[in-house]
Amino acid sequence: MVSVLQLQADQITKTFGTHKVLNALSLQMEGGQLTCLLGQNGAGKTTLLRILAGLQKPNSGQILLDGQPLQKGFRRQIGAVMHQTFLYEYLTALENLRFYAQLYQVPSDTQLLKEALARVGLGKVREVPVRIFSRGMKQRLTIARALIADPKLLLFDEPYTGLDLSGCQLLNELLFEEKAKGRIILATTHEFEFVRQVADRFVILNKGRLVDDFEGGPQLSLDRLEARYLAITAPHHIAAAAPSPQQVSV
Amino acid sequence: MTQWLRAVKTLIWKDLVQEWRSRDVITAMFSFAVLSLFIFNYAMELAPANRNEISAGIIWVVMLFSGTLGLNRAFSAEQDQGCFDGLSLAVPDLSVIYVAKMLSNFLMMLFIVILVVPLYSVLYNHSLFNSGFIGVLLLGAWGYAAAGTLIAGMTVQTRMRDLLLPILLFPILMPLNMAVVKAAGGFLSGMPYAQFSIWLPMLLVYDIIMSTLGLMVFNYVISD
Repeated sequence: MVSVLQLQADQITKTFGTHKVLNALSLQMEGGQLTCLLGQNGAGKTTLLRILAGLQKPNSGQILLDGQPLQKGFRRQIGAVMHQTFLYEYLTALENLRFYAQLYQVPSDTQLLKEALARVGLGKVREVPVRIFSRGMKQRLTIARALIADPKLLLFDEPYTGLDLSGCQLLNELLFEEKAKGRIILATTHEFEFVRQVADRFVILNKGRLVDDFEGGPQLSLDRLEARYLAITAPHHIAAAAPSPQQVSV
Repeated sequence: MTQWLRAVKTLIWKDLVQEWRSRDVITAMFSFAVLSLFIFNYAMELAPANRNEISAGIIWVVMLFSGTLGLNRAFSAEQDQGCFDGLSLAVPDLSVIYVAKMLSNFLMMLFIVILVVPLYSVLYNHSLFNSGFIGVLLLGAWGYAAAGTLIAGMTVQTRMRDLLLPILLFPILMPLNMAVVKAAGGFLSGMPYAQFSIWLPMLLVYDIIMSTLGLMVFNYVISD
């Protein structure tokens, strides 16, 4: 029996000054599953991802992998797509990938890198400096960069940003492939339509706490997903949209 | 260890290629160094007899201020696209970033030495091609890069990094400044070594302490 990787955020609290962004938050994720983290702007989604990536330290709480505290080298098994691209503008797409492949000490043969670039639709612009790329092209390269070391944990913060329709579909295909490989994937997004197609589970973050946790999959319609999200994050919006008793009687 | 060294080499290669293509830092350092030398040339009409004593000070001041321009950019360029986070995730140990950045900064300082020494020799009609003098400048550049990289790593995440870097760095550099100017001046003026022998060991000790300190504390300096 193949063991499934498990990652657990246990009682994570993070404050910035007097503002408590995450409040004793606990979340468990399994390999082969894409968990989508939803929440309003400023809800703490990015902070949680940065803590999971080891880029920020929580004030309290811990991250456990298969029940054990994270080892020092675990960072290198994380593929992260954050708001910023982590790309060097004066290097070409191929050079950027080669640079990261060499740092991660994974094979960096030109042929392999070309394939990685072709996988995200950048095969023809591999020798072009990144500073000339559009936002969407940079995002595609960012995704290729995040996958270059074959990481166990994928943390994708707004991964659909800047992508066109074909880019969004391509990203979903890649996410399906990574799920099939048993990766733990945590993504945040506001692109409900696209993420609905690929997410296995949704968790909603509100005021530093996880307030809802439900399964995704084909049975979850876009309307139901949006309604469930809005019921928590903007209840006044739901109330305003609902007809008043007088309107009903008229 | 091999992994660690390979990562350092990769980072230095990236810094050099990036700099070669953008020429951001080199252009700024080059312009500043040349302008400063011209200003010193006209502001200080030095009698040939005094040149040996004052040259070391002028060269070191030019290197110090030009170097600060480079230090500021060394880390802020990494911050532009969040690359610092990308590096933190990818390197086998965070000390790789410190060593690579320190060596890149040292190479930049070396570039300034290669530029400033001949230019000064021409402008002042006073040869500075003295192996002891050049050696002291290189040791000074090493200490400067070691201390500067550590402080730049500390200030890069602050809003006022351009102001904070010199404010925090220059006091820490005081022992280095004294040692470089005295030792380099001693070599240039042809003094007997015994008269300035205290400064060279001091320079070496400063370099060793700063490099070791940087390696030991850089992880904590850049952590959240």
